Amino acid sequence: MKKFLPWIILVALIIVVALLPKPLEISPTVSVIVTVLLGLALTGVLVMTMRGHLIGRRTVFLFIGASLTLPFFMNFQMPIKVAPEVQELYDAIAKLPPGSKVLAAFDYDPPSAPELQPQAEAFMAYAFKHDLKVIIMGLWPQGPQQADMAIQKVLQQPAIRAKNIKYGVDYVNLGFQSGNEFVIQRMGSSFRGMFPRDIYNTDCDKIPILNGVDNFSNIDFVFNLSSGYPGTVEWVQIAVDRYGVKLGAGNTAVQAPSVYPYLSSHKLTGLAGGMSGAWQFEQATGEPGVASTYVLPQTFSHMVVIGFIIIGNVALFVGYRKSRQEGV
Amino acid sequence: MLALLRIAKLVVFISSSLFVISLLPTHSVHSQDASPSGSNLGPITVRAHDTDNDAGGSVTVEWDDPGYEKMSGFAGFLIWRTNTLTGTSDSVEVTPFGTHSYDDRSVSDDSTYSYLVAALVNSERVMSAPSMQVRSAKQWFDSRLTWVLILGLIICGAVIYFIESAKRGTKLFLRRIAGLEAIDEAVGRATEMGRPILFVAGIQDMDDVQTIAGLTILGSIARTVAEYDTKINMPVRASLVMTAARETIKHAYVTAGRPDAYNDDMVHYVTDEQFGFVAAVDGIMVRERPAACFFLGAFFAESLIMAETGNSIGAIQVAGTAMPAQLPFFVAACDYTLIGEELFAASAYLSGEPRQLGSLKGADVGKAIAMIVILVGVIATTIASAWNSESMLWIENLLRKMFSTG
Amino acid sequence: MDSAIIGTWLAALLTLGIMSFLYKDNLYYKICEAIFIGISAGLWFITYFWDSLYRIAWIGVVHEGRYVLLGGVVLGVMMLMRLFGKIGWIARWPLAFIVGATAGLKMMVYFTTNAMAQIHGTVNDTMAAFGGSGLYDVVGRIVILIGTVTGLVYFYFSKEHKGLFGGVAKVGTWFLMITFGASFGYTVMSRMSLLLGRIDFLLTDWLKLVK
Repeated sequence: MKKFLPWIILVALIIVVALLPKPLEISPTVSVIVTVLLGLALTGVLVMTMRGHLIGRRTVFLFIGASLTLPFFMNFQMPIKVAPEVQELYDAIAKLPPGSKVLAAFDYDPPSAPELQPQAEAFMAYAFKHDLKVIIMGLWPQGPQQADMAIQKVLQQPAIRAKNIKYGVDYVNLGFQSGNEFVIQRMGSSFRGMFPRDIYNTDCDKIPILNGVDNFSNIDFVFNLSSGYPGTVEWVQIAVDRYGVKLGAGNTAVQAPSVYPYLSSHKLTGLAGGMSGAWQFEQATGEPGVASTYVLPQTFSHMVVIGFIIIGNVALFVGYRKSRQEGV
Repeated sequence: MLALLRIAKLVVFISSSLFVISLLPTHSVHSQDASPSGSNLGPITVRAHDTDNDAGGSVTVEWDDPGYEKMSGFAGFLIWRTNTLTGTSDSVEVTPFGTHSYDDRSVSDDSTYSYLVAALVNSERVMSAPSMQVRSAKQWFDSRLTWVLILGLIICGAVIYFIESAKRGTKLFLRRIAGLEAIDEAVGRATEMGRPILFVAGIQDMDDVQTIAGLTILGSIARTVAEYDTKINMPVRASLVMTAARETIKHAYVTAGRPDAYNDDMVHYVTDEQFGFVAAVDGIMVRERPAACFFLGAFFAESLIMAETGNSIGAIQVAGTAMPAQLPFFVAACDYTLIGEELFAASAYLSGEPRQLGSLKGADVGKAIAMIVILVGVIATTIASAWNSESMLWIENLLRKMFSTG
Repeated sequence: MDSAIIGTWLAALLTLGIMSFLYKDNLYYKICEAIFIGISAGLWFITYFWDSLYRIAWIGVVHEGRYVLLGGVVLGVMMLMRLFGKIGWIARWPLAFIVGATAGLKMMVYFTTNAMAQIHGTVNDTMAAFGGSGLYDVVGRIVILIGTVTGLVYFYFSKEHKGLFGGVAKVGTWFLMITFGASFGYTVMSRMSLLLGRIDFLLTDWLKLVK
């Protein structure tokens, strides 16, 4: 029986999910009850730990899974406060007059999409609505493809459809170029040297948006979305330091702490870090997107993690006490 | 009656003519040195020169404003450029209020140019005299980075000095790196338990210095592994690392007198995809259950996944990376972590190679300079702002100038 | 059946297969892992073939006449000599080129941006603090100053960590650990975000339980 227990649970889950009404939304009252139950469960785990009954890793996984899944069905609205560095990023973009040329460097791949794709969509929507001309490129192979996905989604918005955005006139995708920071170095003197053709193999000399764009001196702002190497660090070291480019960035939360020193030394003009940076950026640009729906589950999961950090430390001290009592 | 009508017609004609005349634009072309009517301002003086410290293609235009900006109706300064070779002229830019210089980056090094600046006041243009002819050129040396060169030479000089000292046999002191004992302990434990060792030299290619440091430590571990006949498993993400690692381990086995025990499959390429690689490493850990895991090199987001899986199988884990974002995970999940530069120090310590030892000592000179400059700078600034000391202000300005990067 | 539905179901089943590792290693996970590794290796091969080899070596050299790229092609071929035992030493030259070129580019870049600019910023910020910009800023900048200096002392390898020097290094260790904790917190957020993305896909695109 025990051997088949996981399969029984799985089948039961499938039946429950199939029978649930779609889409599923729970009322505020039920949401509060669920939240309280989750809190009580965590407290129960804490009490058990204090009594010396340690829980397994799978229980922790269940709690994390529940804290991330259940809020999707709740109807709480969390307030979003925009951090100074995200506001600085937005202000730098907002100051650009219509017709400004912005280089958007997409240096990430699908694993980092949950954090960076919302920023990409918010930026592209803002750029199209405010007549900024966007030149897209990537130092990661899948970066330009992520850009294309963001653009296709954003072009569905009625306000942007009405603007009749044209490829080659309002935006262009130059594609991926291998070479990491050497690409940035070369772009400092000549874009054509690195990107003679766009992603569709059209000669860049024939693309209207690229008329008069020879190097970084013809670019008004660089917006970099980065999740690792090569990324924001390389753009700061070469584009900002050597060519005086104005750079704003969106990073994954893992990379953001290592980029903060550049913010405080004013090499970087604004930074949106991680999922919180994404929903703050959406708030600042007035383009609410998928990141704004992640605020509640993210908050819940953080509370559960904090709870388990406390429980873990309690377990540690209980262990110390036990070993002292046993004379080890 | 008729006379009155005629007079009325004349009055209407004259007044309507005057009205129409008043509607005509009063725009007029002034001579180059004239001022808008009613003002006594002097001419605008324009100077143009090649932009300093650039790669060519840029001319800097500067002008003095005798007071047009303060006039009501001022709209900006219009910069007018003439290519003296071709004779073509065009307007370049209209600069806003408060700007008295402009870098024209759309010139060619093969032509000479002359500039005029016009103040735009109440739709009148007050033109300056043309500037001297100027040609842009590239500079081979960026004078703003002079101090970067000097400090760079000092630190590189220190590195070369210490490398040469090490080559001559001078013993260079390096403080004890506690993590090195953990490495020996881990290898010993794996040998006792008869289980393999897992080594991951990071996920970057050979152009990353952390990978090179990781491979240097691999050499030392591989020698021990060869002597004790322990198995080693090294999955890699980059093909160049695979070839370098195979050479390193093969050399270790040959040095230990066990060339027959070496097998190319000890080092194997998995995939370039970051999370595909870590999925494979996790699979190896869970299935082969290595007794010791070494993570020494450059890592990114996969670090916690690998370290946590290694922790779950009960392996002793030693990690080392100079990636600040990944150190927390290794510190939390591994038994010992070489933090940042300790990875390079361990590599230098184990290899004893003069170049690595000398580099480390030279880097220490750089750190000492940084510490001294920061402390002196802070003290000088505090005294300068609290007591208005001129000498301290001089020190503050000198340090600011030295460490400015353009 | 709509290819989008097949794709969604495939993605969902593969996601659940990888997640089943959380329970324990099993055949379902092994199959998903093998598929992931195989596809990723193939994807990288195709990407490098079309975006690097074809675009640079074929289009760049043959069609666009940028013969300077031939140098890179030659170095790449030299690298492949590694596969042939007797002439494998030829591969060391392109390797030396890559390591040397990267070191040359990164040396000054890291020196100016990561060393000099940061020293400039640390001295500058503390100057502003003592100019009276609020207690919060003053305390913050003093903390940065102490953290920077003690951190540098920790990484100073030419002197044993004993006595006063050792005490300062210990303070540096504390600063490092606090920084690691903050960085860890940021990364927890990142991991949760990635998991959120997957859960959103499962609930919205696959099960359609969420609008």
